[in-house]
Amino acid sequence: MSKDMYATALKNTLTEIKKMCPDIKYSFIFTKDGSIITGDGEADPLMKKTVHSFQSLAEKAVAIGGLDALSVNGENGKLHISRVKDMYMVVTTSPRANTTYLLSITNVIVPTVLKLLENIVPTPLKFMPSQQLVVDTLTGFFTGDNVQVDGVHLKEWSQHLDGKDVSKVEIETIGGKKTQRGVKEINDPKRQGQGLILIPEKTCRALKAKKGELVKVKPIAS
Amino acid sequence: MPAKNELEEKEPAKNKLEEKIENLHVNLENIKTKEGIIGYILRDPKSASVDIKDPSKIIDYAILSSTVLNSGEYMMNAFKLGRINHIVVEGRNVKVLSLTIGDHRISVFMNKKVDHNIVYKDLHLK
Repeated sequence: MSKDMYATALKNTLTEIKKMCPDIKYSFIFTKDGSIITGDGEADPLMKKTVHSFQSLAEKAVAIGGLDALSVNGENGKLHISRVKDMYMVVTTSPRANTTYLLSITNVIVPTVLKLLENIVPTPLKFMPSQQLVVDTLTGFFTGDNVQVDGVHLKEWSQHLDGKDVSKVEIETIGGKKTQRGVKEINDPKRQGQGLILIPEKTCRALKAKKGELVKVKPIAS
Repeated sequence: MPAKNELEEKEPAKNKLEEKIENLHVNLENIKTKEGIIGYILRDPKSASVDIKDPSKIIDYAILSSTVLNSGEYMMNAFKLGRINHIVVEGRNVKVLSLTIGDHRISVFMNKKVDHNIVYKDLHLK
């Protein structure tokens, strides 16, 4: 079963849950490392914002033994994030929603579907980890279009892709702008090992990414 | 210039908030004595009261408390879910109830078995 089929199975699960609980407005699922697996379509621009904010909270929640669940009760609606194995499910509802009923359904159906999928998929699915790196600019005549990252990341990505070379990366800003660029190892020793991605100024402008900002970088195998 | 009756309407609201905040300190002290309560952090723009049973956890809990409210607000704005009434974050054994009253930010840390709804009511009703 491919990753797409896996995502489709979970998407259908979310759709069916929404039919049972019409109070659900948005729902989506993401992994611990922040990869969005599936959503109900309407939440696309909101997913990334939520995942980013949630990950920062999850880091701090180590103080209470990790993050199992988050519930926010607001004036115009509720937001629930619950852990299902190595994934997190996000649901937003109207303020009147019966959350006990909703959670009793999601906490049964989603783990059941995941277990079923695990039995069908022979090996665990690997979602390509996206790396958060800090933007620094590349200036000068000979910078070209390629971006530069630490060689350590290129090696890790290559291992994750079963030894394939990583010649391109997808860069995504917090504002949601994306681009794909060729990638090379950082050649300036002073800027190595600092978690940087060196991006040509022209690309920075196109992405509206400023120096010092965090961006998500995903490898693309050649 | 606001009409007289508008001023009269605003005054009781302000007094009510002040009264709520005065009660908050008393309520938190009462809540702290209940079984399963680990402690609380109360912050306003000028000061902070921290009462956590295990002092080695104070910094971690303070950072978590601040992040919970900031992340919660960010997510609620993103989904247009309005002002936060309360947030509950559950860890393996501990959970946190966080909320804002006026410019006071409160986080109560408790064992997972404690009913946070009761703690929430205790914070507001007395």
